[in-house]
Amino acid sequence: MESKHTESKNMEHNNSKISIKGLRKSFGHLEVLKGMDVEVSEGEVVCLIGPSGSGKSTFLRCLNALETITAGRVIVDGYDLTDKKININKARENIGMVFQHFNLFSNLNVIQNIMLAPVELKKLTKEEARARGMELLAMVGLAEKAQVYPSKLSGGQKQRVAIARALAMNPDIMLFDEPTSALDPEMVGEVLEVMKGLARDGMTMVVVTHEMGFAREVASRVIFMDEGVIVEEGTPQEVLLHPTQPRTIDFLNKVL
Amino acid sequence: MSFFGLIRENGVFLLGAMGKTLELTLLSLIFAAFIGLFFGLLNVSKNRICNTIANIYIDCIRGVPLIVLAFFVYFGIPMATGIRLDALTAGIISLSMNAGAYMAEIVRAGIQSIDKGQMEAARSLGLPYGKAMCKVVLPQAIRVMIPSIINQFIITLKDTSILSVIGFPELVKAGQIVIARNFETFKMWAIIAIMYLIVITTLSKTARALERKISYGK
Ligand SMILES: Nc1ncnc2c1ncn2[C@@H]1O[C@H](COP(=O)(O)OP(=O)(O)O)[C@@H](O)[C@H]1O
Ligand SMILES: [Mg+2]
Repeated sequence: MESKHTESKNMEHNNSKISIKGLRKSFGHLEVLKGMDVEVSEGEVVCLIGPSGSGKSTFLRCLNALETITAGRVIVDGYDLTDKKININKARENIGMVFQHFNLFSNLNVIQNIMLAPVELKKLTKEEARARGMELLAMVGLAEKAQVYPSKLSGGQKQRVAIARALAMNPDIMLFDEPTSALDPEMVGEVLEVMKGLARDGMTMVVVTHEMGFAREVASRVIFMDEGVIVEEGTPQEVLLHPTQPRTIDFLNKVL
Repeated sequence: MSFFGLIRENGVFLLGAMGKTLELTLLSLIFAAFIGLFFGLLNVSKNRICNTIANIYIDCIRGVPLIVLAFFVYFGIPMATGIRLDALTAGIISLSMNAGAYMAEIVRAGIQSIDKGQMEAARSLGLPYGKAMCKVVLPQAIRVMIPSIINQFIITLKDTSILSVIGFPELVKAGQIVIARNFETFKMWAIIAIMYLIVITTLSKTARALERKISYGK
């Protein structure tokens, strides 16, 4: 572990997990992302903050091609998502995504939710997938819920299952789109704990969030965006405690 | 002759014809399900050409009365191709094509009623569109579609009576045959109406019960 850590430090420059240059995205005539450049290296946790409607979700969805990219270059985990010839499904296997509204498969129970992709994509046999699924459920503290259907879970439990489901594909990168925004306040903590654990284990993460406490504690970098552009970025210290841009200051005053 | 006398005399024959009616309905609906699934999936796909093909089919079928379609299949096609179809085959083809167009709309509505997040979550895991559709979206959509499918079954069941015009021995044709023999026009049509009524009411009650059960499950 120790040697791997130093190695990754030394290789930081060619260890870019996500490389985005001049990303633009329009819906019809509405330009939502107006040229964004972002680099994320292995093991980094990047928190993306910004007012509602500023394009955070759209940005995140461009990182696994849930949105088509209008212009620019997006390379994630070595896959050039702007290249029409790549196998987008292969690329997505390495990019986990957690949604604001969980999106658990309501026709499947918890363990089936987790096993579906690894089994269907022949990453694991059924038995292996079940064992891995139980392991992940234990990790998120929900081993006893394996046979339960999503409709019977609380929001916090749903989101923890959703994280386990994404991890079952052993992704290199995890994307989170406001994972705690739809939760009752008392359930936010349990989800953030799981995410902190992932960060500690060295997962590369891009997290859209309004949880400033989480950003301060876990983020290697915070990006503040507004109206489709990056306004300010830096360490949590810099952006959250000593912002320099008026728009950042204004936003932080509103949310804190 | 009394009602009961007529029933005693023709009951077996009429029940047989009802059986034929149900058989024709069921077979047609099974084919219609495949047709509907095919065109319904074309309709929800992102490909414009697929959408257009589905819409052309649906519009054409819905724009032609079933009786014209049945005449076309039973009399028209043999004339043009020399292939003779028996009344059952022609009946099944006409009804399947007709019900298929409505089933396509049921499939489309069913799929569109499922939250987009389900498909997106499946795709985000790396599942291809087809797998995501089969394993996640369709199983949920079919649950939603069940009452509409039973409804379509009822409509198709009623539509089988139209096939009496091509001589298929379903219930209406059977009634005509019996009446030609005994001239009990009033009582015979009443008996036949009641037979339809019993079957259709049972089906629609089932549909409503299922509908309630499904909405509780949510
Ligand atoms: N599928 C879409 N079609 C049209 N406009 C969209 C679509 N998705 C998002 N938008 C628009 O893009 C803008 C940014 O949305 P979004 O990325 O969801 O912002 P955020 O996540 O920061 O709140 C909004 O104005 C929104 O209305
Ligand atoms: Mg958003």
